[in-house]
Amino acid sequence: MHAVRNIRLCTKDCLCLYVCPTGATDTENGQIDKNTCLSGCRACVDACPSHAISLVPDEYPPQQEKTDSVVKALFALAKSKTKQERIASDIAKRTEDPAARQLALALSMSNRVVAEDLIREAGYMLPQSQNVKNLLLSLLETQQPKDFPKEVVEKLLGIL
Amino acid sequence: MKKYICTICGYIYEEVLGVPEEDIVPGTRWENVPEDWVCPLCGAEKFDFKEEEADEEPQQSLEYISDEAHNKDMSSADLSALFSNLSKGCEKQYRIKESELFNQLSEYFSGRADIEEDKEFDDLGVMIKKDLDTGYPAANDSAKASADRGALRALVWSEKTTRILGSILQRYEKTQSSFFEKKNVFVCEICGFVYIGDEAPDLCPVCKVPNFKIEKIKRR
Repeated sequence: MHAVRNIRLCTKDCLCLYVCPTGATDTENGQIDKNTCLSGCRACVDACPSHAISLVPDEYPPQQEKTDSVVKALFALAKSKTKQERIASDIAKRTEDPAARQLALALSMSNRVVAEDLIREAGYMLPQSQNVKNLLLSLLETQQPKDFPKEVVEKLLGIL
Repeated sequence: MKKYICTICGYIYEEVLGVPEEDIVPGTRWENVPEDWVCPLCGAEKFDFKEEEADEEPQQSLEYISDEAHNKDMSSADLSALFSNLSKGCEKQYRIKESELFNQLSEYFSGRADIEEDKEFDDLGVMIKKDLDTGYPAANDSAKASADRGALRALVWSEKTTRILGSILQRYEKTQSSFFEKKNVFVCEICGFVYIGDEAPDLCPVCKVPNFKIEKIKRR
């Protein structure tokens, strides 16, 4: 567990700098140096008056198991939502009426958020989970169009 | 005297109390509340309220799963949503590089998604009805049977959001652009709740996130 700072909450009281036993917080980029930070020490977390620092696990527990029936049912809904997102965004692109466009944009964004959340709970919550890695691998193993960003997938598999 | 609860946000209309600040005097029966009255918290229509004491019967376990469910292959649109959410997940873990890469994948698949040229708002209404009539009951049953708390949480939020979208589309159908001509349109970035009104509510009525996570959609 190492400490990270949420720069949007940080009010520059610099108490972390004062309490850190190793100087891991004295960086110029506003982030805490992961290599110097003592795992689980939390002195800065407790000292920060703005609650801007928290401990992030270096390794996450395995993702919760999902039953087949839940995955199927969530994906059935998510597929309906991604389709509705597309329909709404295409209405937004072609309509001449500004109010209709505004409504269509709202519907498109709403459906995207809902689809993301349903898919997340269908077994794709943790970016570093095996499920995500398997999906990325399967993209590399299947035939893809010419413009497919293979190097992006490879980079991800390398650092996740 | 009865009570009616908003199925979107949980607001309760009590006949005995009325809503004096909106000129609905105490003791006003539900059927006498004006048809165009909307939920003071979330803007849902009367249609979206149900009588509070109506006990929900435990649902029979449905074996129903829609046809699409058997197709585990993901479309480009699905992959785009999957990767944009992983991008957000990386951001929350302060993994900025990974977040950017997932975002690139999401954009790529978004560009490849099917174009829906001949569909209109009515078609969305039909799909919403199908989600509410069959998709949600089936998914809720599965999630309950599997005691999957994460899935149940997502289903509670998205079913409410789906209801409000259906209700907004019905109002749009009746009044076209006039019903929000002078109003703003907001979308909750966390659960997708859509609100039409002057100002965003302090908290999202569906997921309760504070309103700095509720985005105003500009009219262009």
